[in-house]
Amino acid sequence: MKLALPTFLRTTTFKLALIYSAMFAAFSAALLVYLYYSTVYYIRTESERRMDLEFEQLGNAYYTGGMERLSQSVLERMTRTGSTYFYYLEDASGRKIAGHFGRLPAAPPQSDVVQTVYFTFEQKEPDGTIVERPAAGRIVRLTNNGGALLVAFDTAQQTAIVGRIQRAIFIAAPIGLVLSLLGGILISRGAARRADELARTAEAVMGGELGRRAPVRGSGDEFDRLASRLNAMLDQIEKLVESTRHTGNAIAHDLRSPLSRLRNRLEIALSEPMSKESAEATLGETVEEVDRVLGTFNAILRLARLEAGAEGERVRMDVSGLGEELAELFDPACEEAGLSFKSNISRNMTVLADRDLVGQALSNLLDNAVKYTPEGGAITFSITRGPNNTVDMIVVDSGPGVPEEARERVVQRFQRMDSARTQPGSGLGLALVDSVADMHGGDFILTDAGGPPEAPGLKAILRLPRV
Amino acid sequence: MLDTVQEDTMRVLVIEDDLEMASFIEKVLVEAGHQVDMATDGERGLAMARASEFDALVVDRMLPEKDGLTLVKEYREAGGQTPTLFLSALGDVQNRVQGLKAGADDYLSKPFAPSELAARVEALGRRVPTEQQVTVLKAGDLEMNLLTRKVTRAGQKIDLQPREFRLLEYLMRHAGQVVTRTMLLEKVWDYNFDPQTNVIDVHISRLRAKIDKEFEEPLLHTVRGAGYRLQG
Repeated sequence: MKLALPTFLRTTTFKLALIYSAMFAAFSAALLVYLYYSTVYYIRTESERRMDLEFEQLGNAYYTGGMERLSQSVLERMTRTGSTYFYYLEDASGRKIAGHFGRLPAAPPQSDVVQTVYFTFEQKEPDGTIVERPAAGRIVRLTNNGGALLVAFDTAQQTAIVGRIQRAIFIAAPIGLVLSLLGGILISRGAARRADELARTAEAVMGGELGRRAPVRGSGDEFDRLASRLNAMLDQIEKLVESTRHTGNAIAHDLRSPLSRLRNRLEIALSEPMSKESAEATLGETVEEVDRVLGTFNAILRLARLEAGAEGERVRMDVSGLGEELAELFDPACEEAGLSFKSNISRNMTVLADRDLVGQALSNLLDNAVKYTPEGGAITFSITRGPNNTVDMIVVDSGPGVPEEARERVVQRFQRMDSARTQPGSGLGLALVDSVADMHGGDFILTDAGGPPEAPGLKAILRLPRV
Repeated sequence: MLDTVQEDTMRVLVIEDDLEMASFIEKVLVEAGHQVDMATDGERGLAMARASEFDALVVDRMLPEKDGLTLVKEYREAGGQTPTLFLSALGDVQNRVQGLKAGADDYLSKPFAPSELAARVEALGRRVPTEQQVTVLKAGDLEMNLLTRKVTRAGQKIDLQPREFRLLEYLMRHAGQVVTRTMLLEKVWDYNFDPQTNVIDVHISRLRAKIDKEFEEPLLHTVRGAGYRLQG
């Protein structure tokens, strides 16, 4: 705890929590002060104001009707239900005329100017005990008469209420302050811990643990979002690192054989006497082989660039045009190979895509279809609407197909099916289609084409979102 | 290997700073029967291009003193009309488009096959200025009328599909030169990608069947390791 203390005190969250607490405290203080004044102050002043009103009314009674009228009014008020005031009226000689008290409970008035008095009086409780109660009132010596008039009220109740309010405030204020501070600390600790988790994940990954991911709590808050974004980025980094490692191996592996073959051929050619024609033929073949190697090399680079997201510019395009051209391009090749070719291309198949990349992907699929379908077979190429507002570009053949177990593997680079090892090709074709699907936010799906069990055929679907 | 028969030798200026690559290019072009001048940086290259009349320029994109892109731009702005081919390790489409926009006529990415380079340089030399619009293309006794879209050989009419017509047109415009499969894919089909199988070969063989089969002398030749050539 001691070590953790400085960390979370430095967090932005704690600072914010502190500011929040301070603001909360300030507003609460202002509110409490307002509350205090509007209650306590109100209570005090209101009672006094009302009392003054009473006093004034009695005063008017005296001026209009003299002592008689006054005493009547006093009696009336005393008998009125719900009256909270105490009255006392005496004549000039100090004899009580009317009132709640036996005699004048306060100091006698000096003049005919209204004075405020405070006094205590004794009251008998229902159980017989006698208690002293505080009171406040107004007193005056009646002009031309010499009598005294007192109106007062019990301040104990008021004091009690005021006291209760004050206590409530004095308890609430510090509790509120403490709670907001505690809240601030808790929140910032939580945030500090989350931030720490992310930092530790990043460190672990940098240290070589490529598979490590940040924990996602499931609360959907900013930290969760940050964690899942971080994880997505780490996924991509892992993929890129793997791809780089893989590329290095693959280049070495897959380019070694043709280069070795080349070398052998040239060495043989050197050691044997050759006619001009056979020399030319050998060298011609060599050039072709080198071209193939260069082609593979370019394909590898291209794939790597695709996976790194460094290639391709997507524009709105109708793939039906591209599809028709490709169909036209491949039709004769199919015929040559003894295969029937059918194309079914719908109009208005608009996607956001890079024409060359999609073209290459479809070309690879058509290539494979032609390569792996035995003579007498059939290939269909169609572009239609797919589920959920997508465009499906489908190549179906009647060849050996790809068994379900192998489908995951076959889109990886340099994977050749055993049945295909003798065919020319770099094994990058399907990997590229997969990459193209990926970068366009689409899917690459392989299923059986519905042929007989020994040759189910392959149905390859490049599915892209429609725009 | 690269036995191209040239009607005329081209004077080519090669601007490339990598000496090994430069001498390799020189060798390829000289063997194809052309004359080669060299510059190893952009400033010098631009100066030489403007000083003499070359039939084609081969410019590397990455050059010291002045990079290839700027060089071509300035050359064109100054009124230079020599057809230009860019060589670059940056092969993706954006860079290709950039290069062509700057004023180049063709773009070849490294690594490239020597036959490809030779074929493309020669194709550059065949560019006909737009004032002289040709209406009839000829090769041997093969005739193509671009206005009527009719093709005849020795007076006999030959029926061609639209794509076959375009293919033949390209071959005839580059008659006597080697045309690579990649060039055909780019120019006749407008593709910048590469189908693995011999799709182009099949189209060529169909065309060949139509224009050569019934005639004595074959016009459409396959050049081993390079491409095709139409020659009477």
